[in-house]
Formats: sequence, structure tokens, C-alpha cells
Amino acid sequence: MIQASDIETELLAFLRREIFSPDTNLTPETDLVGAGFDSMSLVKTLLHIEQKFGKWIPEGEITGDALASTRALAATAARILNE
Amino acid sequence: MNLAELLEHSARRAPQKIAFVEDTMEISYAALAEKISSLAEKISSLQFAAGARVGLCFPNSVNYVALTYALWKNNLVVVPVPTECPPEELHEITATMELSAILSQKPLANGEPLAPEIFVSRFQIATNANNHGLNLAFIRFTSGTTNARKGVALTHETIRDRVLAANSAFQISEADTVIWCLPMAHHFLITIVLYLNVGATVVLARHVTAKPFLEAVNRWRGTVLYAAPFHFSLLARDHSAAQIESVRLAVSTTCALPPDVATQFHQRFGKPLLPALGIIELGLVALNAADPLARWNSVGKPITDFAVKILSPDEHGVGEVAVRGPGICDAYAAPWQPRETILRDGWFVTGDLGRFDADGFLFLLSRKTAVINLAGRKVFPEEIEAVLDQHPSIKESRVFGRVHPHLGEVVEAEIVLSAPDAGIENLSHFCREHLAAYKIPTRFHTVPALPRTPVTGKLLRTAAV
Repeated sequence: MIQASDIETELLAFLRREIFSPDTNLTPETDLVGAGFDSMSLVKTLLHIEQKFGKWIPEGEITGDALASTRALAATAARILNE
Repeated sequence: MNLAELLEHSARRAPQKIAFVEDTMEISYAALAEKISSLAEKISSLQFAAGARVGLCFPNSVNYVALTYALWKNNLVVVPVPTECPPEELHEITATMELSAILSQKPLANGEPLAPEIFVSRFQIATNANNHGLNLAFIRFTSGTTNARKGVALTHETIRDRVLAANSAFQISEADTVIWCLPMAHHFLITIVLYLNVGATVVLARHVTAKPFLEAVNRWRGTVLYAAPFHFSLLARDHSAAQIESVRLAVSTTCALPPDVATQFHQRFGKPLLPALGIIELGLVALNAADPLARWNSVGKPITDFAVKILSPDEHGVGEVAVRGPGICDAYAAPWQPRETILRDGWFVTGDLGRFDADGFLFLLSRKTAVINLAGRKVFPEEIEAVLDQHPSIKESRVFGRVHPHLGEVVEAEIVLSAPDAGIENLSHFCREHLAAYKIPTRFHTVPALPRTPVTGKLLRTAAV
């Protein structure tokens, strides 16, 4: 069982490092799309999750709600990774 | 001739027709032509020499399009520069492509405002880039065998021919509305230029997920989708009841279509995905409009005016694919190599292995060329290898595409360490400093040596594994 909070910590570190510029003050609640998360960001993030947790999150599971924040994305990922 | 005149023609023919939709803004052909003229005047005041090369570093936007045409109006050469490039890569592009300036949305080093949200960074260059007397319009990067980056150079006339040829297959007209999501820095000529030549409407879809994309299709009654398998995969897996009844043409480009994407898309929407073969040096070579369901893995038959032949076919008819047709690039820019020396007896040898079936459908079996397609972005291994090889712990490297069931291909690298105990802990950080994010390998494999050809010792490239 992978905890959503662990995924959130991992994703926050990844997003801060790889996706957003240092001047984006990314918190677990920041709206990702509003902060500039685009389709290439999604590709990189899904690849990172696959590499880190061993499972591809199907693109169709990534709804607007899942990108409302890093916390929401982590919750979606946790649900699928634990299936 | 100048491509800007073709857009002006569209604007005179139907001034009130919507050319672009960007977020909530609709811009008519007349307004677009006016915006182009106004930007062209501002660019003219910068007094570049005719034929000077100018980089364009913008995300998908009306400004991207208007600046391209404004540069053309000033007889300047447009060089698309991906927005994700870190400063060091920008510097390298500027030097290799002999850019006189870069226009950007965000100010770069020495950037000065030119217009709202448009900055210009000018560079001191000793002599103007030599275009060898050609009426050049555009240089697009591709990889080289002798250096990390070379440019495919195209004249206004070549682009016009290429666009006309492509539209003999697409049959796009002013009645069409294109829902657009690919990066313009990678896809522009047989797409955006074509749409504007015929007076179609382009809706810029910035959406990351399927739902708003489908809403855009239905809100604007989109008739044409042109995207990478990744985008169609996103749509095909949408769970809602939304349909795309207005769509008449869904073209899958940039890399081989995974079988489940083709099937799922058809099951979900009742529309076939048409695989297309586009090559940077040639434009659109083939489109499978004739039998996309049964032969989803074929790029179809060559389009009008193109001829394709298989060189030295084996007993199964498999050999290297060579192409002849309109719109073949005029030269490689760095180092300069004119068209005659690129072609072999008038044919462009693609480096792809392929075969025809009995009905004349072309099947690509493996790519001998090294370009990797990551969800619509083109990645050239040589560029990445050139960066990796600068790392003190890396003796040499080989970058390749690994087939990924959802993305087409992903970037991976094999590295040979300079010493058995050489440290590569900072490799990711090193890559981020030197490469755009999408080019950074997802995985690094440490290997004892790289495969080389026995005679010439050239790095052996295989198709995506």
C-alpha cells in the first residue's frame, strides 16, 4: 500500500525540480494548470511516476480535478497505484 | 514570392472570417493581417539585413504566428527556438544558426521590449549569415552526422510547394476548423501555414486533459484534429459521453501509432485515426486515408506528386525508403549543404526501412534515423549525446528511443564511464542546466562500451527498442 502523502512528497520535489521554475512557490494546494503545467509537463510527470512507483497512470484518469493541485494528483495516483 | 502575400490574399478574400481562437479571443483574418503589418513595421525599425536569421522563442499563440509572417514580410529567415531551452542551449543555437536576434515572449539576456509581451535580444555578428542567394524563409533544426545540430533550410517557394502537395491529401478548405495542440516550434509549415493559406480557422487548445479538449472540439465544431498518438490516447481513454461528430479528419503524426490507440479511438468516437508520414526534409509524404482501420499500421500511399521507392529490397521486399517529390528542402544550413548534395540521384534517402504491400500501402518497419518522438516533440540523440559527453565522468554516450505504449517513444541513454568509480550523482542536475526538460533522458544505463560499426567505427544506431 503506497500512501498518498508519500506520493505527494515525491511529486512536490519532482515538480519543483523538473517542471516549475524556482520562482513558482509551489505548495501542495497550488493549481497546477494555473501555474503553467502543460501537456509536456504531464508526460514528464506520468513518466516519473511510472519510473518511481512501477506503474503507468492511464492518461484517461488524469481529469481536470486531478490537476487541481499536487495533493489531488497524488490522491489520483495513489488510488491507481494501489488497485 | 513571399508567403506573407498568401496570408494577405486570405485576408482580402474573407476579411471577417475567424483565423484564430486563443483562449477567449477571436481574431479575424483582417485583424491578423493588420497585426502582422504592425509587427512588421516594428521589426523593420530594427534594420536587419535582408536574409538575416531571427530566432522565434514563443509558446503557441497568435503572436507566434503573427511574428513569423511579420519576419517573412521583412524578408528575414525564421528559426523556431523551443521555449524550454536553457540559456546554454540558446547560446549554442544562436552561434550555430548565426542568428542576428531572438524574439521571445519572456525577456532573454539583453532583451528589450519590442511590443507588449514581445522582446528582442540582438547579437553582434561579424558577417551576416550566408544564404547562398536563396529566398530563404525558414530553418528547422534536425540532427547532423558530423555535428550535433544542423538546420533544414527552406525557401518561400519550397514551402508553398510543400503546402500545396500536403493539401492534395488533407483537402482542407475555408470550411474547416482545426483544433490545434502540437507545439508550433516543432510543427508549423504543412499545418499552420497551410490552414492560413486556405482561410481555415485554427483553435488553439491549451488543454492538458481530454475533457476541455473535447469541449473545444464541440464548442467550435472542429473538423480537423492533427496530433500525436499521445493526444489521441488521452482522448480515447476519456470516460465521458462526449462525441466529436463534427470531426471529418483526425491525423496521427510524429511517430508510429500504437495499435491500441487506433482501436480505442475508433471504438470511442467511431472515427478512424489516419496515420501520416511527415519528414522534416520533405513535408508530408504519405497519408493513410484509404484504409486506416484494417491497415492502421501503414502510413498509406504516397500523396500526389510524391514517389516512394524501396532501395535494394531483400526477399521480403524490405529496404531503405527513398522519396522524390515537391517541397524537398533547399539545403542544410550548418554546415551549408545544397539540395543536390543531399539527394542521391534525385532521391532523398530517408534512413527508414520499409516495404509496400500488394496494394501499394507503405509500411515502415524500423527507423534507421535516430530522431525520437516524445508526444509530438522531436528529439535528436546527437544533441543530447554532445551534452552528456561533456560531463567529466562520461567517456561517451548513446541516446536512443525506447518504445513506450502510451507515448510512442521515450528518451533513454547508455553511458560509458570515464573511470570505473566515476560519479554521476549530479547527472540529472547537469542535464537540466544544459538541456530542455523534454530532452533529458528518463533512464541512464551504464555500459562497458558502445556498439560501433566494424569498418568505420561509427556509432551503431538501432531503431527504438
